Amino acid sequence: MGAHISIPMYQRAVAQRYRLVGQKCTKCGKINFPPKAVCKYCQAGNEFENVSLSGKGKIYSKTVIAGGGAPPEFAEEAKCKGSYPVAIVELDEGPRIIAQLVNPPEEGYSIGMPVEAVFRKIYEEEGVIRYGFKFRMAAQSV
Amino acid sequence: MEGVAIIGAGQTKYGDYPNKGVKELFAEAYLEMLQSIDQGLEPQQIQAAYIGCLSSGSGFQLGQLAPLLMGHVGLPNVNAVRIENACASGGYALYNAACAVASGKYDLVIAAGVEKMRDVSSSKGRYWLGVSGDTEYERLAGSTFAGIYALMAARYMYDYGMKREHLSMVAVKNHRNAVANPKAQFRKEITMEQALKGVPVAHPFNVWDCSPTTDGAAVVLLCNAKLAKDFTDKPVYLRGFGAASDYLAIHDRNSITSLAATRKAAAEAYKQAGVGPKDINFAEVHDCFTIAEIMAYGDLGFCEEGRGHILLEEGYTRPDGKLPVNASGGLKAKGHPIGATGCGMAVEIFKQLRDEAQEPSRQIKNARFALSHNVGGSGGTAAVFVYQRGDE
Amino acid sequence: MNKSVISYGVYLPYLRIKRDEYISALGSCSAAYKEKAVMDIDEDTITMAVEAARDAVSGIDAAQIGALSLASANFPYSEKVMAGTVIEALGLNNNILTCQHGNSTLAGTEAFLSAMGMLDQTDQKYALVVVSDAPAAAAAVDLEHGFGAGACAFVLAKDEPGLEIEGVYARAGEAMGLRYRLPGETGVRDIGVKTYASQVYNETIKGAVLGLLRKMQLDPNDYSHLVLHQNDAKTAAALAKKMGFSEEQLNQGQLFSLVGDTGACSALLGLCNVLDNARSGARIIICSYGSGAGSQAISFKLSGACKNTRPVKSLLESKKYISYIYYLKLKRCI
Repeated sequence: MGAHISIPMYQRAVAQRYRLVGQKCTKCGKINFPPKAVCKYCQAGNEFENVSLSGKGKIYSKTVIAGGGAPPEFAEEAKCKGSYPVAIVELDEGPRIIAQLVNPPEEGYSIGMPVEAVFRKIYEEEGVIRYGFKFRMAAQSV
Repeated sequence: MEGVAIIGAGQTKYGDYPNKGVKELFAEAYLEMLQSIDQGLEPQQIQAAYIGCLSSGSGFQLGQLAPLLMGHVGLPNVNAVRIENACASGGYALYNAACAVASGKYDLVIAAGVEKMRDVSSSKGRYWLGVSGDTEYERLAGSTFAGIYALMAARYMYDYGMKREHLSMVAVKNHRNAVANPKAQFRKEITMEQALKGVPVAHPFNVWDCSPTTDGAAVVLLCNAKLAKDFTDKPVYLRGFGAASDYLAIHDRNSITSLAATRKAAAEAYKQAGVGPKDINFAEVHDCFTIAEIMAYGDLGFCEEGRGHILLEEGYTRPDGKLPVNASGGLKAKGHPIGATGCGMAVEIFKQLRDEAQEPSRQIKNARFALSHNVGGSGGTAAVFVYQRGDE
Repeated sequence: MNKSVISYGVYLPYLRIKRDEYISALGSCSAAYKEKAVMDIDEDTITMAVEAARDAVSGIDAAQIGALSLASANFPYSEKVMAGTVIEALGLNNNILTCQHGNSTLAGTEAFLSAMGMLDQTDQKYALVVVSDAPAAAAAVDLEHGFGAGACAFVLAKDEPGLEIEGVYARAGEAMGLRYRLPGETGVRDIGVKTYASQVYNETIKGAVLGLLRKMQLDPNDYSHLVLHQNDAKTAAALAKKMGFSEEQLNQGQLFSLVGDTGACSALLGLCNVLDNARSGARIIICSYGSGAGSQAISFKLSGACKNTRPVKSLLESKKYISYIYYLKLKRCI
């Protein structure tokens, strides 16, 4: 099976994946992430300034993907861990984004808890490592 | 705008068909549809066919599936087109067919759907199923559709105090409903205890919270309402049909405990039909995951947002309740052959509103208005239909 | 003015395995540490490098960075410009000078020295050095027991006060030393001759450190700290003593017992821990080592502020212990 996301397609989004570059709408000032051609907030602005997001945010919702149900490109990770946590994170700058959590605390964690972005391998396909952001509990940042 | 009626409907039993492909499944549903037309029909009168299918994109037939299927049933020259909006492909086939009749362009149009999901390895199945979300972000977070709906469920629990048990109530109800439905994939009751203890899929979901993979096809024949009585004394009128979209990615949406696409599609369908949620006597809603049915209650106006689980708790949507929902078993137990699902709902409603539910025990009595609701993916698209019985 | 390190960053993976886990699984453990750091399944030397580098450059104007020098004996690709990933992850200028050093555990100080050279070729004020390593060997190889993981990064400034680089001295010559790796192999091989390996380690490091002292006309007493590359806990301590340094001078740079063998990072990671606590004016000497063999000694003087956001101590305390079975899963052995 070929890759879902081709190498060039992945590469076009490295600014978003590697360092969370969002777009600030020059019309309404709100920040779009991932990028849009027309601002999702004012639905009018189509000119943006790049802004680097802090990577800090709060858990908006969460789930744990069980190994058996994982997409095949995540099978290795699922096999190793049995399951892995996925969350929607509401970033401090406003946008929400879906991503995996790393090092989920054994004592549990809940919606609303602060998290911060980390740089990790997302998966490997066609022998190429796809890097990107995941989040860890801010409490683990020392 | 012309009125739209359904004059015939047929579907395969939903399930596992190692010996049948899309052509065979489609033909079986098509022939059952023809037989259901009380006064009969000369097939050559059919002018167009809108056929919903998702997995033709997954490799077995990359393009032009619709003419392939129509040629297989002896109608090679009708205007045939494949419609794709993931799990709402069937609903959008019905919507587009209805629009074609309402516009006056055609008088007799097929709306159909077909899906062959049980041929592929489970790994390949998972590979393809995730591609109807925002692949670049949702998929790359390692999420599946179950994961996306699980995120909705977790937030619904957080915002509205819903319990894990409420999710299982949907599974228990719909599995019980499917027992009497000869077209259903799983005709087996499950207990609350079972429903709570399935193999984990995506927390809080276990396997009983998820619809299955299914082979199946469904076909309905739409007719200009003015001509309907030429074919049957008991047409079912399609009084309202609405469709709407939303951001494909869950993180782009304002709310993840409600589907904006469903709300807009429902408002459009109710407005066109001139009825409201209180007029609906029973409904087939999109319960691909248990939370989807609970959210649909609010989005379709059956209750306020955030109270879906209360409605369930009160037994309001059981077959003996005020508003039976998914009396067929729903996607959960009747099965979910993706492209067919939206049309399969219309088949069920056609039978119920003609008092022809296959088993007397499952016939919903004295129903006048019914509603069907079909969602694409995690709510990127939705189509809602309001039906009225035609023999009164 | 001498070039200086004005800030640094450290990354240690969150996972640890205790020596006891090896003993209960295998009956013994060839490495004398308490515990060591282990990369998670979604980590590699590049993800660690990015985390360390992000900390090092926080508070620094990234547009002023004109060079990136990257080192690891275990890059995730055998051929690829790895600096590209780090540039994009940090949002550095795409026109900066880059170099990457690998192939031996000497790579860390090599990258450091290259960065000093590159600084002379750029109009920008800063160079970034990132060293990240996670030595690997087959689970059946005794050497593997000691292999840990970690990363550190340093911002070098042309003419700002900080951790001043006073002098460097090196030694290299033909001597297999402890280990080597063949093309296409993911793990190192142990040459298996212990006394010879220790002798090469001692002679090579001694040649660099004592040479540097001679060159600088200083003696061990002029230094507050000595940090040596650590293949294990004991050899470095014994060698330090032989060279005339005290246990006190060596202690803060010894991290082997808590993180394991961090390869190209080893001496530089020790330096970071020293810097967390060093007093102004302190002199520090570090020396790297790579089998084959070579050593590079660098003499520093803390003449200005050298910032770090996450102290090594807190990184050592932020952890989760794993079992040996889980460790094997992470290493894709099972």
